[in-house]
Amino acid sequence: MADYKKPIPDGDPYEAGPYWEGLKQNKFMLPRCVDCNRAHFYPRILCPLCGSRNIEWFEASGEGYLHTFAVQHRAFGGWAEEAPFITAFIDLKEGDRMLTVLRGADPTKPEELMKKIGSLCKVEFEKANDNVTIPFWRIVD
Amino acid sequence: MPSNPSMAAAIVGAAESDKIGYIEEGVTNATLHAQAIHNVCDQVGIKIQDIEGVFAPGVASQLAEYLGLQPKFIDTTSVGGCSYQMAVHHALAAINAGIIDIALISHGESGYSARKNQGKGRGGGGGADPWSPGAQYETPYGTSGAPSNYSHAMTRHMHRYGSTKEDFAQIAVTTRDWATLNPRAVMHSRETHPAGGPITVQDVLDSRVISWPLNLLDCCLVTDHGGAVIIASAERARSFKTKPVWIAGAAETQDHSIMTEMRDFSQTSAHISARAAYKMAGMGPSEMELAMLYDSFTITAAITAEMVGLTKLGEGPSLWEGGKAGPGGSGIPVNTNGGGLSFSHSGMYGMMLLAEAYRQLSGTAEDGVHGIPGKQTNAKTAVVNGTGGVLSVTSTLVLVADD
Repeated sequence: MADYKKPIPDGDPYEAGPYWEGLKQNKFMLPRCVDCNRAHFYPRILCPLCGSRNIEWFEASGEGYLHTFAVQHRAFGGWAEEAPFITAFIDLKEGDRMLTVLRGADPTKPEELMKKIGSLCKVEFEKANDNVTIPFWRIVD
Repeated sequence: MPSNPSMAAAIVGAAESDKIGYIEEGVTNATLHAQAIHNVCDQVGIKIQDIEGVFAPGVASQLAEYLGLQPKFIDTTSVGGCSYQMAVHHALAAINAGIIDIALISHGESGYSARKNQGKGRGGGGGADPWSPGAQYETPYGTSGAPSNYSHAMTRHMHRYGSTKEDFAQIAVTTRDWATLNPRAVMHSRETHPAGGPITVQDVLDSRVISWPLNLLDCCLVTDHGGAVIIASAERARSFKTKPVWIAGAAETQDHSIMTEMRDFSQTSAHISARAAYKMAGMGPSEMELAMLYDSFTITAAITAEMVGLTKLGEGPSLWEGGKAGPGGSGIPVNTNGGGLSFSHSGMYGMMLLAEAYRQLSGTAEDGVHGIPGKQTNAKTAVVNGTGGVLSVTSTLVLVADD
């Protein structure tokens, strides 16, 4: 934990407080519109799908599907030491999509990973410091 | 003929964020914008989705994304406190032109809270604000810079349509062929650059991987570049020593601001801006004789070819296949300056697209400085498409030569 050298996000407590607080307890929280019943990501105080301000937070399944990926051979700061690594967008089971660094796949074999687009992925949590936990995703099938 | 914009538009509502003044619990710019916009829409009796033009000094694209909008008019002109009056002027012009009927002008500035929050929450693009969506939800995962983002779209294109790295490499090869006819192109020849001159598909595939599936030669240059154009009224356009090139169609929209919000990784919003530009011009893609397509990466040009209707969906690279889009090729010429891939790309390539489109349609593409024999095409019409951000914002022009 003390040696976490990659960028540590500074969560916005006003628009995304429950997201960042949830992560500290290893919970994956998402905002959902009470009026149209759709989840969205990144978190906002109004629904980007219908414009409502009636937003509630819920604990999501922490499951999703691999939508697309790239293998980063060139990176900066702490990530430079980990290159090549796989970045991926995950289609969240509850709807919408997020970026992550994908675990459980071999960055030297992108052609193999191409065949796994659509595969089930699960969230896992890494404590970067006492105040911030970052969600990462792992391909599980 | 354009009409006097006087009385062409009116302000129909005005509201504030829920709280203003000294908000002791703290607030961000995003929240202040969102509350004020929600409140003014309630007051006027419209939905946020009814807004057609977003005029928000400095943050129009980010704000449109936050609101989930794909506006027809995006104006982020930011020149200080008077920007909001200027936004009224710009909205008046857009409404008078018949492009939009409903414009949003928005302001959100946490001047007091930002002091207590060490400046955080004040918005701005590029992830400079730690509380911006990019800084919170993308930077922690090690993507930085355009290639690390665009590669995800190329993977999705390959997955969805079965396109290959070889297909995309052909775009770089053909574009390089155009650069060999442009003495000012960085990659014109071995004289202009050690790696200049013609290249092969194998050269592209053998170049080092930057962000798989993007190799170095799939990526644009990073150069220094200055450019400018002059636009004049129809009344004045033929009174100069140069030839006019007419703006027959113009349109814009966006899909997102940051990659996380991209709705479909295998398309950009150019299908919307192109359709609107063609409609304004009263012309279609089959009538285009030149295409200037933003080629920050081979994937950008390929997707754009599909979006502006020059190929079917999924077949973008076929436009370049076998050098068809190159000098003397059998297809529509594309990126005749050598593109961002081989001519020059300083970061915002749109001006280079515009300058070359003007040269081609005014018959000045072979002046010895900007082109040698073989570069000038016979094109009388052109589709010009710019792509900004991370496949985010698009603008399409349909230009027509003077006759």
